[in-house]
Amino acid sequence: MIRIRLRPDYAVVLVCVGLYVGSAAQVRSPVGGTALSLAVTTLSTPVLALGNAVGEACQDLWTGERNLRTTLAELSRLRAETAELRRTNQLLNAEVAALRQGSRLLAAYPSLTDSAVLARVVARDLAQTHTLRLDRGSGDGIRVDGAVLAEGGLVGRVDRVLDHSCRVQLLTHPAAAAAAAIAGVPEEALLNGGDQPHLTGLPPYTKVPPDTPVLSTGSEGIYPAGLLFGSTLEARNDGLFTVVPIRLAANVSQVTVVLVLAPGGRGAK
Amino acid sequence: MKLAVAFAIAALLQVGLTASHLWWVLAACQPLLLFIVAAARRFSPVGAAWSGIVAGLASDVLGERIIGPGGIAGAIAATVVATVVRRFEMEGPLFWIVGSLLAAACSEGTGMLVLLTLGARPDHGPTGMLAAVAMTGVAGLVVAAGERVVRAWRSPGRRRRRVLRRL
Repeated sequence: MIRIRLRPDYAVVLVCVGLYVGSAAQVRSPVGGTALSLAVTTLSTPVLALGNAVGEACQDLWTGERNLRTTLAELSRLRAETAELRRTNQLLNAEVAALRQGSRLLAAYPSLTDSAVLARVVARDLAQTHTLRLDRGSGDGIRVDGAVLAEGGLVGRVDRVLDHSCRVQLLTHPAAAAAAAIAGVPEEALLNGGDQPHLTGLPPYTKVPPDTPVLSTGSEGIYPAGLLFGSTLEARNDGLFTVVPIRLAANVSQVTVVLVLAPGGRGAK
Repeated sequence: MKLAVAFAIAALLQVGLTASHLWWVLAACQPLLLFIVAAARRFSPVGAAWSGIVAGLASDVLGERIIGPGGIAGAIAATVVATVVRRFEMEGPLFWIVGSLLAAACSEGTGMLVLLTLGARPDHGPTGMLAAVAMTGVAGLVVAAGERVVRAWRSPGRRRRRVLRRL
């Protein structure tokens, strides 16, 4: 192995020559600047690029996280707004349905419009008390025994009145009763309420065709004459009378708007 | 170790004196050349040349100049100073004043010469050279005075006088 030993003074001269050459290279470098700046630039460029990349990534992450929060907040707000709009839409739909039903009701009975009050069903109990509760009361001209008329036909009568609401006793109530007549049958009959309303008081063996309209006669002083109760089912003899079950015309479970007539009202179509 | 501390202090001083709000003449002072002078007293001319190379390169780096001419100038200045102080056996304030003036003159002259041969433009002209020589000489004077004070403070005569005063 060859060992080169350099005298210190020659080494100093050699280093000085090297420095001179290095200086010349720096002076003539097309990049310009000193060796230090070149070295610093060369070394710092990747570090700065990495730092910039990390900084931009952090900035992007921060911005994205902020945007995500904003988006989630907006989404939450929109969901709440959508739910609110859905509720409002349902209410409006119910309102529109009630208005349409009321409009059809008024169109069906134009002669009763002046003496009747249009009311909305706010509660119903068809199983226990067989009643409806309406949003009109004595302050609106509602009186006890006013006949209540739905789009299909009669549903009952007012049996209790408060200032701003009233209760309707339905024809399915066990205590309900009304004077009725079957179309084509000269005799008047008594309509009894209950789960299965029926007509009694007809002579035995009275021929009653099925699906014949049953109309009010007004003899009891509550229901105006000529209004529809329903239609007959198959008649049968029960002792000295012919009993005729009837199917009520108005579907109380779907009624939302009714006309409340003045007690003893007249002039139905 | 002392030389290393002196080098660090000189480098800091050289950077600090170039502060923009200081008088420009102070920026001409080259404390790193005093490090060369100090090294010339301790090392042989060749050893001093190495310290001159280091100091010159540090001066180039701190001055943001082309790296190299300062090292060459420092080596030559250190060699010259070391040779002269040995030849004339300089001591005390004379060593510091002559050494600093000689180091500054050699360094500035050599540096200027190197730059001219390289075709580079020096960052200061003859006035700057004179200012550098003068301010480095002043710095050498200050160091000499400081050394004198320290020697007087640590002198056996003063210690004896203090002891006698307490008796």
